[in-house]
Amino acid sequence: MTARRGDWRHWTVAVTGVNARSDNPGPGLAVARCLREAPEFQGRLVGLGHDALDAGLYHADRFDGSCLLPYPTAGADALAERLRAIHALEPIDAVIPCLDAELATFVQLEPALAGLGIRTLLPSRHQIRERAKDNLPTLCRGLDIPTPETRPITDPAFFDHCAGADWPYPLVIKGIYYDAIVVGDPIEAKAAFRRIADQWGFPVLVQRFLAGHEVNLTAVGDGAGGLIGAVMMRKRAVTDKGKAWAGVAVQDEALERMASTLVAALRWRGPLEIEALRDGNGRLHLIEINPRFPAWVYLTHGVGRNLPAALLRLLADDRSVVLPPSRPGTMFIRHAEELIVGLDAFEAVLTDGGLDLASRRGDSA
Amino acid sequence: MHGDSDKRLRDLQDARLRDLAVSPTGFAFDPQSGQSFSINGTGVVTLECLREGQGIDETARSLAARYGVPEEVARSAVEGFIRQLGRYLA
Repeated sequence: MTARRGDWRHWTVAVTGVNARSDNPGPGLAVARCLREAPEFQGRLVGLGHDALDAGLYHADRFDGSCLLPYPTAGADALAERLRAIHALEPIDAVIPCLDAELATFVQLEPALAGLGIRTLLPSRHQIRERAKDNLPTLCRGLDIPTPETRPITDPAFFDHCAGADWPYPLVIKGIYYDAIVVGDPIEAKAAFRRIADQWGFPVLVQRFLAGHEVNLTAVGDGAGGLIGAVMMRKRAVTDKGKAWAGVAVQDEALERMASTLVAALRWRGPLEIEALRDGNGRLHLIEINPRFPAWVYLTHGVGRNLPAALLRLLADDRSVVLPPSRPGTMFIRHAEELIVGLDAFEAVLTDGGLDLASRRGDSA
Repeated sequence: MHGDSDKRLRDLQDARLRDLAVSPTGFAFDPQSGQSFSINGTGVVTLECLREGQGIDETARSLAARYGVPEEVARSAVEGFIRQLGRYLA
């Protein structure tokens, strides 16, 4: 048993962000799918959700068990207490947080989790702050990386006079964690401002709009400045929230250089997604750095660079992680499907806070 | 005009044509932009010449000989092909 604790292939790995709304799914189900399909991985997977309707809580093909967590707003103490209770029932070797809103709390709990023997590969609080959306222009200035000008807004009256103050429409209104809405006039801007402020709080950010096509990169930072396993993707179809519905793996050397520069400067530790935009002149602009795997991370398995599995190897102190070259041209097309959930399963999640999925495999949850 | 085409070709040959993946049926994928498109048979032959490092004149001579058309007609077609390729690889 002790020897197995050091062997990542037999770990019990908990994954958060297992919500799967089709227009904006969390990355957790895709992370679990990567691990489930990694040929070396023989361990157990536990899905951690925040809502009884998170599909991953019932997905027996992905997870062996599932548990509810308190919402991120409940704070670090509530999360720590819940994780301790889960760990007592099902000893966890590693946890992969997949939601921006819970990252800061997991970072705060990292020493306590390590004390329990739960491994995490997370950025520091300082690193999270450095890549925050409202700090991106400052970070990019120091690294000579183009990024659209962004400013925090607390008064929607800004949108009445911004066009005359060198902030012409269209503009992009963004939440501090999620959401980006392109607006073309003050009416649209104020509606977007209210919606985002209601959902994500203040500050609301306004960013200059750039025309072009989006290219994204995901990878793992080793914490010493190294970028591991970059996989790049161009969106081919998007949902009305701008999330990739279909995409194709690409090999964009300028994007990889940008990512290497950022990861080296930040000494980033853990997964990340870099969202960039190539304008009509071919110039690349940094749009966002997300401190987690993206929902399209299953493409990394598709191109032969299974990043969640690579992350576990790094956590096991395997520093010899060398991944094969990516396979540009490989595409993904996302699809939605229904999970059939028995009333007893729903009841177990609501009343017991979790579900033993392994025993239900082959049946509907 | 010729100078424009030559420059456009040099830009493409420097970086992009080398990496272009082309199937035997002429389906092409650019790994940098993620764009895919179909090239007809004459286009595939033209692309092979350009990827071998041939210039516009040399490619036009090859096409003229192969398809039995006047060299200036072939040259105009090669220039049009390069312009179109440049748009796809933007």
